[in-house]
Amino acid sequence: MTQLEIRGLAKRFGGVQALNGIDIAIDGDGITGVIGPNGSGKTTLFNTIMGVHKPTAGQVIWDGRDITGWPAYRIAATGLVRTYQQAMSFPGISVLDNVSIGFEHGCDRAAPRRWTSPESLLGFVGLDGRGDEIAGSLSFGNLRRLGIAVALAAQPRMLLLDEPGAGLNDHEALALRDLILQFPGMGMGVCLIDHDMALMGAVCSRFIVLNFGTKIADGTPADVLQDRKVLEVYLGEDA
Amino acid sequence: MEIFLQQLINSLSVASVTILIGMGITLIFGLAGIVNFAQGEFLMVGGMITWALVMAGVNFFVAMVVAMLAVGLLGLTAERTLFRFTLTRPMNGFIMSIGLSVILQNVVIRTLNEVQKSITPPVTAVWTVGGVDIIAMRAIVVAITAVVVAVTYFGISRSRYGVALRASVADQDTAALMGIPVKRYVTGVFVYGSVLAGLGGALMIALFPITPFTGSVIIIRGFAVSLIGGLGNVGGAVVGGLILGLVDALAAQYGFPQWTDAYSLIVMIVILILRPQGLLGGTMGPRAT
Amino acid sequence: MTNHNMQSPTQPVTARVSLPEAKPRYMRGIKEPTREEWCLGILILAGLIAFPFFDPGYRFLSLAVSTIFTAIALYGLSLQFGQAGIMSVGHAGIMGVGGYTAAILANQLGLGFWESLPLAMLLSALAAAVVGLPSLRVGGQHYIIITFCFCALLVIALTNGGTFTGAATGLDVGPIPGVFGIRFAKLDNMYFLCLAALTISIAVTFAIVHSPYGRTLWSIRENEPLARAVGINTNLHKIGVFAISGAFAGLGGILQTYYLRHISPELYGAFPSLYLALMIMLGGARPLYGPLIGSIIVNFLPELGGLDPIDSRIAYGVGLLLVILLLPGGVSGGLLSLYRRGTKTRHRLEKGRGLS
Repeated sequence: MTQLEIRGLAKRFGGVQALNGIDIAIDGDGITGVIGPNGSGKTTLFNTIMGVHKPTAGQVIWDGRDITGWPAYRIAATGLVRTYQQAMSFPGISVLDNVSIGFEHGCDRAAPRRWTSPESLLGFVGLDGRGDEIAGSLSFGNLRRLGIAVALAAQPRMLLLDEPGAGLNDHEALALRDLILQFPGMGMGVCLIDHDMALMGAVCSRFIVLNFGTKIADGTPADVLQDRKVLEVYLGEDA
Repeated sequence: MEIFLQQLINSLSVASVTILIGMGITLIFGLAGIVNFAQGEFLMVGGMITWALVMAGVNFFVAMVVAMLAVGLLGLTAERTLFRFTLTRPMNGFIMSIGLSVILQNVVIRTLNEVQKSITPPVTAVWTVGGVDIIAMRAIVVAITAVVVAVTYFGISRSRYGVALRASVADQDTAALMGIPVKRYVTGVFVYGSVLAGLGGALMIALFPITPFTGSVIIIRGFAVSLIGGLGNVGGAVVGGLILGLVDALAAQYGFPQWTDAYSLIVMIVILILRPQGLLGGTMGPRAT
Repeated sequence: MTNHNMQSPTQPVTARVSLPEAKPRYMRGIKEPTREEWCLGILILAGLIAFPFFDPGYRFLSLAVSTIFTAIALYGLSLQFGQAGIMSVGHAGIMGVGGYTAAILANQLGLGFWESLPLAMLLSALAAAVVGLPSLRVGGQHYIIITFCFCALLVIALTNGGTFTGAATGLDVGPIPGVFGIRFAKLDNMYFLCLAALTISIAVTFAIVHSPYGRTLWSIRENEPLARAVGINTNLHKIGVFAISGAFAGLGGILQTYYLRHISPELYGAFPSLYLALMIMLGGARPLYGPLIGSIIVNFLPELGGLDPIDSRIAYGVGLLLVILLLPGGVSGGLLSLYRRGTKTRHRLEKGRGLS
């Protein structure tokens, strides 16, 4: 079983302790949600795992290898791929070229190809027939799909999704849910951050709750949402 | 040692001119996100205006003020007709400023000529302080620069205007929501930066002859000054200017004089590679993360 | 969004991509030129070949030679800036590395044009890669300033190089040795030699842009963090494209050296570099013929418009401002969109590509 294991991961920016020694193990066949209030360190966690920031302390073990501090492109080549919340696509080039870029790089050589061509991948995310359009001219919902397709093109074995549902309407969020639910069956683990609790509740088999850079709860959604600390810190703020 | 002290004061007066231009670059970059390549040409134009007026019999200090106003007007025109339209695409603004610098240089060559221009120093006294001879004009240049730097620095860090200005740099959208007229501020800063270049030009011609090509030489030093300290950081421009002055003085005294210009460039490149944000930490332009 | 068009997750899992085997490996993934692209290319080439036969006179023919070797160097800049999105105002300096390599080899070791050619291109590529290193740390405008300073430094170094670089007066080289009885001291033949090099440069540019490597460069231009996140070693490819760009500049530089037969430091300073940047902006950095058009405009405008050098520089400056404010794709980009508007949607497919 491929596994992403994070041991005592810490990140400090100047005087701010953004991550405070986090331990998590994520299996490669489930959907794990990371939740927490704004500024709790969710995106920093992704960035530190994925080589954007160098961790101050701790280790990231992926598929039995210590990838701590590896450059982002090398991590992607091992089958661990992330999406960005804002910078989703390559805006100035065609949709097909966007996906082709992922196809031509990244590719975890060990993994079997799930799609035979960039076109079939576009069909999978629901962008068939739009390959010739300029990515930047797509609607926001389609841009989100393209962002996921660009990451999928790199043939990940685990996908880290940073707020894939942000800015989507109900209809689009529903479609996104159906898309994400298919990933584990394709041999792809998912770890996602989102504020949309309806989406998170529907797809995640496990919740990890962060607050001030510390993990305060970890378990099934039902258990976690009963947790007193979580209710106080996270949902209490929302209610 | 005395010779070195004299070199240092000479270099300091040269540094004054580069600090003025570097401060203009830094201010304009900090708010508009444009590195204004034409800043050197603004300075040259300021020097040429001063020269023309002094030749026509106008007092140097009056000519200096006129040059500042004229170059300020030039900056206003450039901002309103050109740079206003590239605020969202700073790279285009930068390339436009290259075009502007080519135009200004050749317009000056066309209206005057390529021959170097000089004026007789408006103040010819030499002061002796502690055994070191100081040319009074150079001391005056350093003093004027010091005053301008102090005014600019406190204007930005202390005044209400400065606070609003820094808020605009941090986040133009929010600043606009809070009722800060961001666009007017951009114009204001651009004009102020231009006035500084005009002053730099006037002070420069009081010290050395200038040619229409002076701008393209001085702009490299202006970049060096503003990048060493950190683009967008006024204090940084001063530190950068002082470092450059020191490097020049040392080079003139102990190095190979024909390599003088190279030292400052090498210092700049090394600092940029080691600390891309400059010594004092600059901004990466407005709203860039 | 509906799900009916989504494929079942299990069905395509095992298939591996099989690339068409007919092409040799290095050609794989390179898009064939369309019939239109062939036609345009052949038309332009035919026009350029025919040019000397219209008896243009010495003045115009030498302008054409300058136009072509400048355009060759610009093709490098078009890959670096147009495709990978990294502008430089140090390109003339890189040309100078090529030119001085050839001139020093000729003066110190007695090597001729053909022996120096690969070395000049190699050293230019190397120099461009080294000058490109700071771009891994600083971006955009900061990097442009560094390249500008590189030119200034190069001129200082060349001027202080003593007899090795010929100091401020520079160096002389002999004519290009003839091949098969073709004498390159004759201007017509020099023109055709440059034209051959230009044709190769355009073909190589086309191949790069329409290959997966071209897309890799676009990914750096469009969204560098995302490019890294899908497994692209952006630092490596940036240095790579600088080296390619440098090789083009070296080729242009050595042709310039052997055309002028005398070079001096001021040919490679900051201002010549600025003019190269200006040409690429005027012509358009992304369209395939943008660099050529930019070079034609800047080299021929003074002659055709009857402008003296000063007026023509003012005209370039004004042209640059107008292009940036009104025609962001350059003159060729403007022509292209006019043509597209004429032929409507047939070209939708090409719109997103780096070149068309």
